[in-house]
Amino acid sequence: MYTIPQLRPHRPLFLLAILGGLLPSLVRADDFNNRVKPILSQHCFTCHGPDAKQRKGDLRLDLSPHDGAMTPERFTEVFGDGHKSSLIYQRIATHDVDDRMPPAEKPGLSDSEIATLAAWLDDGAPYEKHWAFVPPAWPDIPQVELNAWVKNDIDRFIVRRLEVEGIKPAPLASPETRLRRVYLDLVGLLPPSVAIEAFTADPSDALYARIVDELLASPHFGERWGRHWLDAARYADSNGYSIDGPREIWPYRDWVIDAVNADKPFDDFVVEQLAGDLLPEATRAQRVATGFHRNTMINQEGGIDKEEFRIEGVVDRVNTTGAVFLGLTLGCAKCHDHKYDPVYQDEYYKLFAFYNNDDEIDLDLPSEEQASRIAVLKKEIAGITPERDVYRAEAIQGKLEAWLAAQPEEVVKNWGLKEQAAQRMARTEWTDEQERLIQKRFLQLDETYREFEARIQAIRGKLPNVPQTMVLRKRSEARESHLFEQGDFTRLGEKVLPGTPAVLHAYDGPEFGNRLDLARWIVDRENPLTARVTVNRYWQHLFGRGLVETENDFGYQGALPSHPDLLDYLANQFIARGWSTKQAVREMVLSATYQQSSHHRDDLDVVDPRNYLLARQNRVRLDAEIIRDVTLAASGKLNATIGGPGVYPPQPDGVMKLGQRNRPWDASQGGDRFRRGMYTFYWRATPHPALAVFDAPDAMVACTRRSRSNTPLQALTLLNDAAFVEQAQAFGTRLAEAPMETDDDRIRYAIQLSLNRTPSDHEMTILRELIADARKQGGSGGAAEWVHVARTLFNLDEFITRE
Amino acid sequence: MRSTSYQQALQGITRRHFFKQCGIGLGSMALSSLLTDQAAAGSISHDMGLYNGQGQLPAKAKRVIFMFMAGGPSQLELFDYKPALQKYNGQPIPQSYIEGKRFAFMDSFGNDGPPKLLGTVRDFKQHGNSGAWVSECLPHTAGIVDDISFLKTVATEVPNHAPAKIFMNTGSGQFGRPSMGAWVNYGIGSESQNLPGFVVLQSGPRGPRGGQPNWGSGFLPAAHQGVPFRSTGDPILNLSTPETVTDASQRRVIDAVNELNRARLDVTGDGEIAARISSYEMAYRMQSSAPELMDLSKESQSTLDLYGAKVGEPSYAMNCLLARRLVERGVRFIQLYHTNWDHHGGNSENLSNSLDEVCHDVDQGSAALVKDLKQRGLLEDTLVIWGGEFGRTPMGEIRDTVGRNHHIECSTMWMAGGGVKAGYTLGETDELGFSPVDKPVHVHDLQATILHQLGIDHEKLTYRFQGRDFRLTDVAGHVQHDLLV
Repeated sequence: MYTIPQLRPHRPLFLLAILGGLLPSLVRADDFNNRVKPILSQHCFTCHGPDAKQRKGDLRLDLSPHDGAMTPERFTEVFGDGHKSSLIYQRIATHDVDDRMPPAEKPGLSDSEIATLAAWLDDGAPYEKHWAFVPPAWPDIPQVELNAWVKNDIDRFIVRRLEVEGIKPAPLASPETRLRRVYLDLVGLLPPSVAIEAFTADPSDALYARIVDELLASPHFGERWGRHWLDAARYADSNGYSIDGPREIWPYRDWVIDAVNADKPFDDFVVEQLAGDLLPEATRAQRVATGFHRNTMINQEGGIDKEEFRIEGVVDRVNTTGAVFLGLTLGCAKCHDHKYDPVYQDEYYKLFAFYNNDDEIDLDLPSEEQASRIAVLKKEIAGITPERDVYRAEAIQGKLEAWLAAQPEEVVKNWGLKEQAAQRMARTEWTDEQERLIQKRFLQLDETYREFEARIQAIRGKLPNVPQTMVLRKRSEARESHLFEQGDFTRLGEKVLPGTPAVLHAYDGPEFGNRLDLARWIVDRENPLTARVTVNRYWQHLFGRGLVETENDFGYQGALPSHPDLLDYLANQFIARGWSTKQAVREMVLSATYQQSSHHRDDLDVVDPRNYLLARQNRVRLDAEIIRDVTLAASGKLNATIGGPGVYPPQPDGVMKLGQRNRPWDASQGGDRFRRGMYTFYWRATPHPALAVFDAPDAMVACTRRSRSNTPLQALTLLNDAAFVEQAQAFGTRLAEAPMETDDDRIRYAIQLSLNRTPSDHEMTILRELIADARKQGGSGGAAEWVHVARTLFNLDEFITRE
Repeated sequence: MRSTSYQQALQGITRRHFFKQCGIGLGSMALSSLLTDQAAAGSISHDMGLYNGQGQLPAKAKRVIFMFMAGGPSQLELFDYKPALQKYNGQPIPQSYIEGKRFAFMDSFGNDGPPKLLGTVRDFKQHGNSGAWVSECLPHTAGIVDDISFLKTVATEVPNHAPAKIFMNTGSGQFGRPSMGAWVNYGIGSESQNLPGFVVLQSGPRGPRGGQPNWGSGFLPAAHQGVPFRSTGDPILNLSTPETVTDASQRRVIDAVNELNRARLDVTGDGEIAARISSYEMAYRMQSSAPELMDLSKESQSTLDLYGAKVGEPSYAMNCLLARRLVERGVRFIQLYHTNWDHHGGNSENLSNSLDEVCHDVDQGSAALVKDLKQRGLLEDTLVIWGGEFGRTPMGEIRDTVGRNHHIECSTMWMAGGGVKAGYTLGETDELGFSPVDKPVHVHDLQATILHQLGIDHEKLTYRFQGRDFRLTDVAGHVQHDLLV
């Protein structure tokens, strides 16, 4: 066994080694950002950074000392005139353990880190603004040698970098792989046989581009890319916490699918989700969009302080805003100034204040037909109520006292003491409560009145069941927002007004800004983060990793971009093309970089083992929902209906017992049994096991990157889960019934339907032997051996992987 | 056997690809990125933890059994004997105790003035050489007091069930953090080749509040999450081969899957495929090892009697016996949940027969587990923990009957084995049992201590997520050395 050289895992510095150590010529001018600041951030900022309460020795290293923040004397003392006279250098280089920085209990600086800082001090300690806080500039498109390989400008950025390294990009993947890849990435479904045949016959760029355009236009694109967004939106169909009651918010999910399909410009997409209700003459759809921030959990446990959990929801909205739109870990500033990034606690609560003035309501969503039906029925009811009310008034006025007097005493005794007493009093002496109780009894027993009520009830019974969705609505009366000391909502600190972090572009909205003002600030073209963060995530969906690996942390502690110019190019293009998601995705999937083979390359083992430089594609295991979808696609059972309430595909018995409340799970029958995985009703406390086991997000907080684990429980699921077995049987039957002559034809057909390629001879042999053994073993029905084949294929790593 | 040679071949492949793919040879930088990369971590074989099976500190315990009494058992009815509370029964609690404090169900203390103190009606006696106080509710536990240590001052931060359970399990009241069992398996891996490293067993009328996040892996790789074993049907979801498939054909399909996966591994060179082949082999082994675990036919009648377990009847006692069997099979972290300890007062939540019922459910099994582990020599390196998410108030809560409210300032837990002292009591509460007067133990302290016994420095077991190094104990936690041998 090899030895582990270091026990404490900390941030990946590997990329830094590539950028800072091996390839100095390629580092952009901002050496401070790439080489110096990561050292300062990692080792110094905790005590000499933004957090005023933790700051030691009145020394702050995260801000430039050059713009008047320090007297010249202090500057010379701290930064020196040449590194040797610098206090910083003296403290990091001393051998005196008591004096040495960082303090002994913290990990120390390496010799090369000390050397880097010394060189920087010799240079006069130049500072530069953090790369991600500078708006992206249009980079020059690099010139490259390997022009023949290049398909679009993206490739020039990638190849330029590879050429400096002396690495050749990988060849294009096979046509079958490229087709399967682009189908899975854009629509999450397998390519049909006719597409495979066409593209293998003519694997031209023109046909590829046409296929890409067809997929972008497919309504399933909205499902696949909408689901990515729903991860970030922490979408689920229940309230979470212990009670985990069901909720109705699927119309929001469908809004996302529609918006992605319509290629709604991303800036509008954001504005409507954060503040659609505040837009002038907001449409119903725009109000539905505000469900984005209703996906917070709701605690229905008895005995809770409701205000505490309302605030939890608002906190989640702030944190989600940071992670999803800004790529910043704002949550750190809830309790104290951020330890690394220049985000202060009061700024956290300024963002909080934008979200602190809403009511959480349900919005009725009748269809047009339902709306007119409701109008008709309400009119019918309105036709009865006046007559009823007149009758009631007259009857009470005229009959009530006499009626009570006429009731047998033993009956009234059973009603209660107050009624009993009233029977012996004049009506004028009754208390209000007695009057109310007796009226109620009278009306309950009065035939004519009951008839009126029965007629109204009968009409009410005809009112259609109207879907609802959860939305935000601005409160009529504004709440005052305060900073919470140490994040504790019972300890109110200073009062705050809505505002944004000063380190970013200026907020120029009104003093008492609302969600709409915040949304407009987020999608402001001056915002250095939103476009970068968004295209980086698109890249992540298509390559398995973002150009900035820490896709939700573009701050000081985040990873540096592997291709900073490419990131800026993509961000600027995104905005220039009207924030079009489809065009951004189109450019990425048309690149040769995307179309490369994903096969492992021994020659990269030393120079780029984790494939940051993208001299090949990455093999990526499919998302949980898509694993279900591909089995349905292969078996031919897929019900491709889009949208609507969640459905209940089969799941093992007993799953729902794991939650505090036993929620029902009546497996859907008919078409709903075969819907895509994204429509499976998602209980937060007891998610469908086939989703959870393949790393579907838990929907507790925003998920901006899924993990991809590889566990024995996944094997058990694919082998034994009733739903997968059912699909394998259907697939086996489909194979057995295919109009083919030979076993070999059927094997080829099976592989084409599942892996979407032709098998190798070796694979043919393995499956022939499997079939022969299955026939020897015997089995139930004529399709038994083909069910074996189907189960085998469904369990292959390749089947659940996008290569 | 066919699968064995596959295994050997595969291990070679796995190793080779692991070295090549993950750049182990590149030194610490590559390693740290490997360890923080979720995709790569997925390809670490199941039995290898962050520390590669080697804790940083000398480990006193190899495994943990946490008996989680969900709902918050009343320490004042069970362990924390307070004659003064009985003396002042019915008196209002002095305002100074409750000024500015937060409780759940704030309004159910009654409307007329400060809530009233509630003395227990349970009979308390001192037991064993240690003289520990245990009430009549737990006679079997009273019989093992010299093997266990009590913690009288365990404090938490959140007064509602779901957040408090999450707090006990993950060190945070926020959902989405890894649970202790996941951290432990992430840190030191599992010793079992055939069973998951973190197993959850449940008994009582319902699952614990909060559900899956109590044993979830949070942002750690899903391989480390707790796997709930069920006491009826398949012990693990989807463990059984489907009815339409024979065992022989299941094996045949897995062989074909592995052969084809190996062929694809040759073509693509992706080490992830090697990990997938290992997963299928372990899944196959689990198909026999898990039923073997649940098969109690080889347990003697005297053992069953010791626990009070009856074959074929799911119960907490049965789960205690299964916990011992899991320990014997190398499972690292075992959690037993038993629900219904939430005695607010009222029909099914009263401090009389409802409490009796749940005490009866758990008493014999809990004590039997300690005795059984001891007689088999397993107690010394197995850390056993008993307790709930919080304690209960010295003040009565008025529902249909008088019960007790949630209390975060102190609850009583007990621990045994795994390098913990025997017959010892840590900490002391005031005369009303309201607050600690000596050695308060915060949940983070408890967690730090548990990790310490497993040889893990709680400040060093970290995981970078969303720009921050997270750990089980957040930014706090002190190992309780007084408690340790």
